[in-house]
Amino acid sequence: MSDDRAETNNKKDDVTTSRRDFLKNIGIAGASTLMAGSASAGVPADSPDPDAESTAAEWLQGHFVLMSEEDKKEAINRLEKRYTAKYDKKTTVANTPPLEGVLFGYALNIGKCIGCRRCVHACVQENNQSRTNPVIHWIQVMKIPKGNFAFTADKLNDGYPKSSAFGDYGVQVGGNAYAPVGGLATEHAQSYYSADEMVPDKDYFYVPVQCQQCEKPPCVKACPVRATFRDPNGVVVIDYNWCIGCRMCQLACPYQARRFNWGEPNLPPEEMNPKTHYFGNRPRMRGVMEKCTFCVQRTREGRNPACLEACPVGARKFGNLLDPESDVRKILATKKVFRFKEEMSTYPKFFYYIG
Amino acid sequence: MKPQIAPTTVIIVLALFAVVAGGLALVGGLDTQKAKSTAVEEQAKATDAQPVTDCFESRVAYTAVTRTENIVPQYGYPNIKCSPKTSGVLWYGDPFDGTIPMGEMPEVTDATRGDFVNAVVKPREPRLTYFNMGPDGCATCHNGTMVVFPKDKKPRLITMHQDIVANSLQLQHGRGAIWCLDCHSATNRNKLVDRQGREFSFNQPQRLCGSCHGEVYIDWREGIHGKRIGAWATGGKKRWWVCTECHNPHTVQTNRFNPINAELPPPPPKGMKNADHERVGQNEH
Ligand code: HEC
Ligand code: HEC
Ligand code: HEC
Ligand code: HEC
Repeated sequence: MSDDRAETNNKKDDVTTSRRDFLKNIGIAGASTLMAGSASAGVPADSPDPDAESTAAEWLQGHFVLMSEEDKKEAINRLEKRYTAKYDKKTTVANTPPLEGVLFGYALNIGKCIGCRRCVHACVQENNQSRTNPVIHWIQVMKIPKGNFAFTADKLNDGYPKSSAFGDYGVQVGGNAYAPVGGLATEHAQSYYSADEMVPDKDYFYVPVQCQQCEKPPCVKACPVRATFRDPNGVVVIDYNWCIGCRMCQLACPYQARRFNWGEPNLPPEEMNPKTHYFGNRPRMRGVMEKCTFCVQRTREGRNPACLEACPVGARKFGNLLDPESDVRKILATKKVFRFKEEMSTYPKFFYYIG
Repeated sequence: MKPQIAPTTVIIVLALFAVVAGGLALVGGLDTQKAKSTAVEEQAKATDAQPVTDCFESRVAYTAVTRTENIVPQYGYPNIKCSPKTSGVLWYGDPFDGTIPMGEMPEVTDATRGDFVNAVVKPREPRLTYFNMGPDGCATCHNGTMVVFPKDKKPRLITMHQDIVANSLQLQHGRGAIWCLDCHSATNRNKLVDRQGREFSFNQPQRLCGSCHGEVYIDWREGIHGKRIGAWATGGKKRWWVCTECHNPHTVQTNRFNPINAELPPPPPKGMKNADHERVGQNEH
């Protein structure tokens, strides 16, 4: 679980001070008040509860990227111990470093997607989302009407501007214009369509949306504490322990890709995935943000994301954007590719394509 | 972008930290947390009593797979996890469970080299009803005596296999341009056959399909059409889906991919009983 390369490539000595040092220097009084505060919230000082100690230690934990190797190891041991006890199974919290020379990209074929939502639930299984109250899905599948293409001959002469007391006003349109139009407009998208439907419905197409792993991520810009940041593989991750739950990132994201734990997550122990990563699928706590990480716990070890593996039609492709032989690069080279909400200039590395 | 933390940031961080930590200490009192987790355990026991074990991957029935526990002992992973709603496979504990090498593939001389070195597939033969009716596969009946070998490729009405092809004179593939014996060998029924007379195993349908659908085959070979799971890296070990795991060769004209059931949606937004608001204005303008 040791990490021989830092999460980001910046030099350690750039960092003049850390929160922990800061606390050490001037904040001791504040910190002890804090600990006293949480102790008075229910734990007697001599409690045998292992959680109490680790909770206190977690309050004092710094930004993971800036922690020393020993501190990281300690933090991870703490988490592994806690999760193993809580979920009653041997849980590992990996700190697998980012890969060398890799920029992750994703491509999704909206011509193939049938809207079955298997990716959504694969993601839930893999990434330990809260199952009930709150229900958290990182992927949202939009069902978008193809639009009314039922032109009729009897409307050929309709569409003149209406007359009123003020005279004729408006612009003349063709008589077949008064029906929703197709296109990738989210205005008519349905994200809650029923599971009782057989899919695909021939009158709709389907567009799954998840974190687009922007090269210029507005969420990272919005985060006041840099708990969310872009890793060297281009994936935007979150240090859940550093997150303060202000939800600025959620507002900043044009793709509605971020989810907030409004309550204590409910994760049944037998469904819990015990293979986790610190920045990925380890169980989260109340009051923190979470979102798709391209399954950092899998992809940093060479395996495909869970959503891709679940897709029954093969609409999802993942790979290294720096490798010209990768599936994504070949798609970029040969298919009709676009980015969702390109006008936001967020430069996603999640591409949609046709063909 | 470098996550440097400037002293001013630290002060802001500290301020926010104190506020939020205080708030969390209030709401997240440790003993309430504990009470909740036991409630969760009970709830979980009630809802998730028995995992679904009879599942399918892409094509209903034809990609059946059974859940086996503890295939990856390190994490206690089963081979697959399935949807309680649709029995669709949602998650792979072991992406290579039940696979065999893809087998011989024609050499590809472009830069991709087909990436076949570490290619594995799930064999199709065990999935076929008629292949498993006797010790000799299809040849149990199609041995030249029990069922005589057809003399030519001319379409005729077949009085057998209606469960596979309802009406052999209206085969739903190729709009009348092809028939059974363009794909099935006349004299060696255990094999598929292309129009040049080359025989392929049912486990390698891509070589048959590819002989007519060259363009799709190129994409499939490059990993664009179809599906591969396992390693993402070029040259890594991958399980490939063969054509017939998604397409039913006898019905592609009706449905290229047969519709399946959808999985559960997220619950409606907080405070809403349903999501009808999504449909407002659907048919106006
Ligand atoms: C239980 C015996 C039986 C088995 C096993 C069987 N078939 Fe047949 N099959 C028949 C009979 C009988 C006919 C001919 C019906 C007719 O002529 O009306 C037939 C006809 C066919 C035909 C039409 C062409 C022809 O030869 O007349 C095809 C194609 C075919 N079978 C494919 C298969 C394949 C592929 C398998 C193995 C996966 C298979 N069959 C296994 C009994 C069998
Ligand atoms: C386009 C090529 C093609 C044509 C045309 C075709 N088949 Fe098949 N058939 C296949 C393939 C490929 C399989 C193996 C399917 C699989 O792996 O699921 C198959 C499987 C079968 C099976 C075994 C199915 C089972 O579940 O046991 C039968 C029987 C069969 N075909 C009969 C026919 C008959 C009868 C016709 C003509 C009316 C026909 N096929 C036309 C390609 C073809
Ligand atoms: C002997 C040539 C031949 C072989 C072999 C063959 N096909 Fe086809 N296929 C056709 C023709 C012809 C069409 C019709 C194309 C059209 O309508 O434009 C077709 C159409 C299709 C379609 C699209 C259906 C539609 O009309 O939209 C699919 C999907 C398909 N084939 C899949 C397969 C698969 C999978 C296999 C291998 C099991 C296969 N084909 C083998 C000739 C073949
Ligand atoms: C993982 C599932 C999957 C596999 C494997 C797969 N296909 Fe497809 N295929 C699809 C889907 C989904 C579509 C799109 C259906 C639609 O347009 O409604 C499609 C479309 C097609 C079409 C018609 C449209 C087109 O793109 O030209 C053909 C022909 C076809 N496939 C042939 C093949 C052949 C040949 C293979 C094997 C070499 C294969 N497919 C493997 C899922 C698959």
